[in-house]
Amino acid sequence: MIEGVWLWITFGLIAAATILPRGSFILLGEGTRLPPALQRALRYAPAAALSALIVPDLLLDAGAFDPLNPKLVAGLVVIVAAARSRNPWLPFIAGMGVLLLLRKGLGW
Amino acid sequence: MNESFKRGAREGFRLMLPMSVGLIPWAIVTGVAMRSSGLSALESMGMNLIVFAGTAQLGTLPLIASGAPLWLIVLTALVLNLRFVIFSAAIAPAFHGQSWSRRIASSYLLVDGVFILCSEKLFNSDDPQWRWGFYLAPALWCWFVWQLGGLAGVLGAGVIPKDWSLEFMTTIALTVMLVPMAQLRTMMVAALVGGLGAVALRGLPLKLGVIAGIALGIAAGFAADWHDRRGQA
Repeated sequence: MIEGVWLWITFGLIAAATILPRGSFILLGEGTRLPPALQRALRYAPAAALSALIVPDLLLDAGAFDPLNPKLVAGLVVIVAAARSRNPWLPFIAGMGVLLLLRKGLGW
Repeated sequence: MNESFKRGAREGFRLMLPMSVGLIPWAIVTGVAMRSSGLSALESMGMNLIVFAGTAQLGTLPLIASGAPLWLIVLTALVLNLRFVIFSAAIAPAFHGQSWSRRIASSYLLVDGVFILCSEKLFNSDDPQWRWGFYLAPALWCWFVWQLGGLAGVLGAGVIPKDWSLEFMTTIALTVMLVPMAQLRTMMVAALVGGLGAVALRGLPLKLGVIAGIALGIAAGFAADWHDRRGQA
């Protein structure tokens, strides 16, 4: 866990890593253009990044590969709920419900 | 404040109001996620105000909690925010001739919902005052909803017992963002390669596995995109 002054420095740096991409063209003016190939590649950055954060949490248990664990089951429920329902709360309720049921109810 | 600014502000706000309801669960969940990652209430609201970016906040929380090196946290935030470069390029002509301080404020306030709502309609009028109102009012409203919802989550999180695995809310929130993106085949390729790559490369030093996985995912998505384009030609 990052703590104290370093935590606030971390927030400041994350903020910079946010306002720089957001402001890039707004601040520089519209004279500059992104090459189309780069623009196409950048479209894949969020999907790749989100997945690189999600999948390890679903497949790893304390750093070791464990494909059969309650988080993966809950994660699959979340994917189905998010794909099938327009209700913004449902994936959270269903995902947490399944995880708690498996961990607390069944002691998995 | 002149008439066309007010007119733009009214029109923008009216369009944003129904959409902003969708922000509330995000804001609350992000608030809860920050508290359950180990941040204090003050630190959580500080992050919410300073960073003001749901994806970057949720994405960096696991790294902050595990004490990852600073450069890795910043790089991850940067990658999660790369989409804003494209948004910024698309919306920039609307701020032509605006003052430096207004451009900085616009950059801080440029979130996904505001871009989706404003990016095309901003060009409906040539009047810079109307444009400024049409951007500023919905953007400030989103900011307000985000901070208020975040505060509700931050204060509410303390009520829930610690052993309820609430940190899993972060993973759920990230998944809910990913699912609509992955409906597109090439995005799905980027996501699968990025996710499995991060698992396969988890042994790399300095937690480099996440960044290496992301790079592989982008490359795979781009390759699938290129393959599809060639197939059509």
